Formats: sequence, structure tokens, C-alpha cells
Amino acid sequence: MDWNCAFTEERLSDVLDGALAPAEHAAFSAHATQCEGCAQMVARVGAMLRGLRELAPVEEPPYLVPKILRGTLGARASDRTAERWLAWLLEIGQPRFAMGVATVAVCLAILLHVVVPRMQNVTAADLHPANVARAANRQAHLTYARGVKFVNDLRVVYEIQSRFASQPEPAASPAPGPESNPTTVEPRDRSQSRPRPGRRESRFGELVVTMSPSEHVSNAWTRSLS
Amino acid sequence: MRGWERLEPDAQLVQLCLRGDGPAWEELVRRHARRVYGLCYRFTGNRAAAEDLSQEVFLRVYRTLASYESGQGAFSTWLTSVSRNLLIDHYRRMRRDRLTDSIEEAMPHLEAKHSPGRTPEALAQASELSAQLQQGLARLSPDLREAVILRDLQGLEYNEIQVVLRVPEGTVKSRINRGRIELARILEQMGMRPA
Repeated sequence: MDWNCAFTEERLSDVLDGALAPAEHAAFSAHATQCEGCAQMVARVGAMLRGLRELAPVEEPPYLVPKILRGTLGARASDRTAERWLAWLLEIGQPRFAMGVATVAVCLAILLHVVVPRMQNVTAADLHPANVARAANRQAHLTYARGVKFVNDLRVVYEIQSRFASQPEPAASPAPGPESNPTTVEPRDRSQSRPRPGRRESRFGELVVTMSPSEHVSNAWTRSLS
Repeated sequence: MRGWERLEPDAQLVQLCLRGDGPAWEELVRRHARRVYGLCYRFTGNRAAAEDLSQEVFLRVYRTLASYESGQGAFSTWLTSVSRNLLIDHYRRMRRDRLTDSIEEAMPHLEAKHSPGRTPEALAQASELSAQLQQGLARLSPDLREAVILRDLQGLEYNEIQVVLRVPEGTVKSRINRGRIELARILEQMGMRPA
């Protein structure tokens, strides 16, 4: 069998892998002993292949496998989480929940409006547990005192009102002022626009005593002097 | 299950994965992560790109695992096909973005096989050799590069490479042959002497 340089290039892999038939291998060997170019090419490519096979397998970074697992198995979990969040958001979007959320938001806004200005003056010392407890105690006592004062004020007011209600009917007297002038305003219109002091019947048939503010003051003075 | 015992371990793991077995998928990833990463690294010459591509490969495998049929060939061959397709996509993307030059500039030095008896000088020589080989690989055309990597670095048989590259066996042999000759010529131009 005749062997030439074109064969060497064409069958080089077979030469290097030992895949030539015996007759082919003998023909190649005979040619290579005479052809320096082919011998050099076979030596050069053979050396290169040995170098390639010497290369160690590249080791993957240690975090690669966990990263891949997060990207695959973790993807399913995150999908489920996203679905849950989407369902929750859709539920929140319904009118009844939206109204509730809006109400809560308004309440929070009011609370923040009240609390934040106070928080601006907070110092580090104020956050000490003893100071916090003292401030809370003081605030509780203040709130209690305000409540007591409010109840006492109410009691005074109701007491005064009840005394006014139990007083005998004062003598009816014509009210001074423009009402006395019949030419300016009709009497019927006056009674409708401004209730006159004295006894009158309510819509429910009860007897109600009404007094003008000036009469309240004068009666109070009278009682206090007596 | 009938024929379960006859399935290869990888094919058994795939069946378990398809039933939602998380540990089986983890085992499959651990068995093949190094091979996929090595292929990506040898092809791109860039560790960061190899990491990203390895993740992409396994993500695609995870999504398309049902399309693997054990009767068509080994799982590793199918996995290499998926990897190769992504590598080609990556190469085209990089070429379009005109980033191929920066890859070659950023080519890292590679480690050669470590053996206990080697002296530091020998290790340094091996490291330099591997760096030159990697640089030479990067200069090969993608067709020839993938053929050489699959055959001489990944150790695939011709028929397996034929499946991965989807070309006739004669083309596979031709590409490997031309790739080897071309790589040797590039390395000679780079001043690398045969051992």
C-alpha cells in the first residue's frame, strides 16, 4: 500500500489512536521514516494530545451544587410562595377588606400624627428601663386624673341642670328687644326662629322648662347668695 | 416496576426525579456537576461564565427531564447535548456582543494533574503547559473546539459525540482530526514545544 503526506493528515487521529489496520500501519511507518514533515506532525500532535490528557478535571466551586439546587428545587418552593401571596393580595383587594384596611390605615395615620412629634424629643436616657417605667407610671396617673376630673365636671353640670329643672316656674315676662316691635317681624315667625323662655310642652307631651342664658346666670347668683 | 433493575443508575434517578423525589435530583446534580462545569469551563475558559452556564444547563435539564428517554442513550450523553446547545448559544451571544476578545484576555491559568512526586518546578511547568493548551483551545473555531474537548478532555466515544453534535460519524472524525492538527499548529505558533 502506498502512503503519502495527504494520508497522514487525513488519518492522523487513527494513527495516534492506534486505529490503523496492520497493513496501513506498516505503510505509514515506512512513509514516516522517509518523510520528516509527517514524522514531525505526528510527534507534535501526539505531544499535544498527551498534554491535553494530562489536564486535570476541573473542579467545580463548592457552592455550585447548592446554588443549582436552590435554583431548581428552590424554584418550586418560591413559586408556591408567590402563588400564596398572589391569592392573599386578591383577597385583600375585595371591597370589605379594602374598607377595613383603609380604616386601619387612617387610624394608624392619626396615631402616628400624635406620637411622632413626641418621639422627636426622645433622648437615649429616656429609653432606660427605669425612665420608661417612670414615664408610663406618670402617664397612667395623668390619664386617671384627667378621667376623674372629667367625671367630676360632668357631675357638677348634671347637678346644676337638675337644680334648674326642680326650680318653680319663673314669672312670665316679655322679652326685651326687637321682638317687642310688631312692625319689624311677625310674632309667629319669632316663635319659630327662637324659643322663648318659660314652660312649654315637648313633642312627647312632657312639660319642659326652658330658660335664657341670662336667667341661668341670675338664678345661680341668687342661689349662691342665699 | 418492570425493568427497573435493568435501568442504569442515572435513568433510575431520572425516574425518581419525575415522581418529585428531591433527593434523587440532588444526587443526579452531584454526580454530573463536575462534568458539566468542566465542559463549560473548557469551552469558555472563564470560571464565572462556566458557573452561570452550569446553572443554566441544570435548570434546563430540570425543566425538560420528562423529554429524556433512557432508550435513546445514556443520560450523560443527553446531558452533554443540552450543555453543548447552551454553550453554542452562549458562544453566539458572546460573538454578537463582541466579547470574545475579552474572554481570551481573561483566560485563566489552569491546573495540571497533581501527583505527589512532582516538584514545584514540574508543577509550574505543568501549570504553564495547561494554560497554553487552554489558550490554544480558545483560538480554535467552535466546531473544532467542541469536538476536541468532547473527545480528548471529556473522553466521549465517537458515537456519543455523533449524538451530541448531531452530525454523521465521518464528520465527527474529520472535525476531531482537523481540530487536533489545528490546535497543535496554534500551540507551535505560541512557542509551545512538544514534550
